[in-house]
Amino acid sequence: MKSFSLLSCCAGCFLIFAVSCTSADDENTLTWITGSDSSPDAPDEEMSSYVQQNINAIESDYGFTMQHSIHTSNIDEAMARLQEQATRGQAPDFALIDGYAIERFEEHLQPLNELMDEHGMDLNDFLPFAQDVMVGEDGNVYGLYLSTDIRYVFYDTRFVPEPPKTWDEAMEISLDLVDQGYEGLVLPLGIGEGTAVTSLWPLFWGQGGELIDENGQPSFYNEDNKEHMLNVFNGIHKGVQTGAISKRMATNGEENDGNAEISTGLVKMLYPGSWQINTFQDILGDDFQYWDVASLPMLEGGEQTSSVGGWAFGIFTEDPDKQQAAFDFLQRTYVGAEGMARFTTRDGSMPVRSSVYDSPEFEPIPFIDEFLDILEKEGQPRPPDQIYNTVSVQLQTAISQVVSGSKTPEQALEDAWEIATFGMEDDE
Amino acid sequence: MKPETNDPLASPTKIKKKFLNTPYPWLIPLSLLLIVVFLYPIIEIVRMSFSDMNLVDSEYTYTFESYVRLFTLPGFWPMLGTTGFFVFFSVTFQLLCGFIVALLIVRGESLKLKGTIVVRTSVLVAWAIPGVVIGIIFEMLYTETQAGILNHFLSLIGLGPITFLSDPTMALLSVTLANIWRGTAFSMILMYAGLQTISKDVQEAAKIDGAGPFQRFRNVILPAIAPIVLINLIIISIDTFNTFDMVMALTQGGPGNSTEVIALSIYTSIFQEFNLGVGAATSVILLLINISMTLVYLRVLGKGRNES
Repeated sequence: MKSFSLLSCCAGCFLIFAVSCTSADDENTLTWITGSDSSPDAPDEEMSSYVQQNINAIESDYGFTMQHSIHTSNIDEAMARLQEQATRGQAPDFALIDGYAIERFEEHLQPLNELMDEHGMDLNDFLPFAQDVMVGEDGNVYGLYLSTDIRYVFYDTRFVPEPPKTWDEAMEISLDLVDQGYEGLVLPLGIGEGTAVTSLWPLFWGQGGELIDENGQPSFYNEDNKEHMLNVFNGIHKGVQTGAISKRMATNGEENDGNAEISTGLVKMLYPGSWQINTFQDILGDDFQYWDVASLPMLEGGEQTSSVGGWAFGIFTEDPDKQQAAFDFLQRTYVGAEGMARFTTRDGSMPVRSSVYDSPEFEPIPFIDEFLDILEKEGQPRPPDQIYNTVSVQLQTAISQVVSGSKTPEQALEDAWEIATFGMEDDE
Repeated sequence: MKPETNDPLASPTKIKKKFLNTPYPWLIPLSLLLIVVFLYPIIEIVRMSFSDMNLVDSEYTYTFESYVRLFTLPGFWPMLGTTGFFVFFSVTFQLLCGFIVALLIVRGESLKLKGTIVVRTSVLVAWAIPGVVIGIIFEMLYTETQAGILNHFLSLIGLGPITFLSDPTMALLSVTLANIWRGTAFSMILMYAGLQTISKDVQEAAKIDGAGPFQRFRNVILPAIAPIVLINLIIISIDTFNTFDMVMALTQGGPGNSTEVIALSIYTSIFQEFNLGVGAATSVILLLINISMTLVYLRVLGKGRNES
């Protein structure tokens, strides 16, 4: 009896272990991972039913069961997990990827040229920056860009009649606002990717700065780049010292932190992302009519620059039937001319296909013409290199240290460089 | 020389039977589970820490670079200092506040005061709230705009706004305070259980013998609850050293890295910089700190208990 109990116990353990190890791979299931807002679980009911309808149509047309999962809200973490899955050969059949990072997944993604031809999708219809990211070094298309965004200055014309063109002008206006009892310029300067793409990169790129060199190594402290980055750090540091920028900005790491700021009624000038404009319209109500948008102010002599972001889908599965079904779903829902028009209208983001802007099904967000102008003339995506995340995290931390007063600009930058490049001399 | 077959104990069947009559076979499933769930991951983490693994490349080499990087680059020693401050003050005040609350409840109960159960339950609620939620709640409290609850009230009496989260020193204090609030409930539960075990007769006898409140506390209460204090100390110290969720939600380690504790640094290395080697090396350091601290507690406090 004892032996039997023992055997049962061991068998139970084995069963639990075996069940936990069972592979989820199923030839009749099409697995995919996406963001919460673009999924059938989207909080917006209209979006969720739109995506669900397309899922039902694909399931009915192709006989697959579509099984989705949602990326974590931390984009870096989400991309890290997806990359780990792809490296282990356990990526879902297709997945939403942070647009600029497509190149990192290239060796695991399937080329989509033939499927694009089959579905009559013209690569040239995509905006130039998106084409650059979508097409790999071998000339094949690996990602399908579905939406994009840019950064700009948003200001209340009753208090800021003319938008600042240079950083110094922005600081002057900001000080003036502070003197009147309002907040100064609100921009992300804490730990978060928003700080990098909104506050640091445009000012740095505008001077011709290069974050990562052609060999994929950090270069933000080499030669002229060091001076360019120090200019950015010193400019922000001076803004904090004079009171034009509140030290509080060291706790804001994302553009969306601006939503809470603007709701206080004391903010008259800030740096947001284009996707926030609908939220601002809701928060500001009738006052929204007094607000306007403009390009980000640059450091003296800098070329006008803004960071572009957005998302793309990539297909991992090697099964041709699954590829066909996945592409058809993406085309209908997010990437086809009609799909993109419908998706971006619901999502409030910017389409990346030129034709979609003229589509009758596309309902643009406020200031879309200005945003498109900024996107085409000034938009620059982040470098796709693997080291980018380390560079970004270290510089976010560094500027946050400068703003909070724990390090000088020189010291913070030097430490960031030392950490980001540790061990690299040995490799060379 | 005796032939083996003549020894009844040496018979394989007998040995098997004897083995089956011991508790060891029953421990096999649990041992297997512990090996798979605990031992194997620890071995893997130690192995990773001596490599340059990252989340992207499947290729890697074995190296000491992760440890050299940790000990030589700016940031590691200040992070240990930050963690030390956070743990020391969190544990000290969690222990103290937990004991005071427990003592008040026990006293209230002995005086048959109404509402002691409500107080006990209310304090327990803090224990039931997830760390992320506590982080968000305290972020709302500490917000430095007019929307911040604390700053709103402080400004009403002319004391605001206070830079709870944007000043490096204040941020560390604010995070530690939030963690004290979070952990006090757990301490209170253990202390309350410990206080319940003290015999009323002994306390009465001490009182009759003329022992004052401090003497009763030092010579009767403290020795009686020492085992509970030891367990409490070990649990809350390890728990505080491993705190991640609350700090992540409250400050993300900022401003700069003024509130970056070890657990948060592991997360940043792995999930933001994709560096498994450094993340694993930091995890090994954290593991060693936890083990050493537990051993010290057991040695110092355990010895003290034996002597008493």
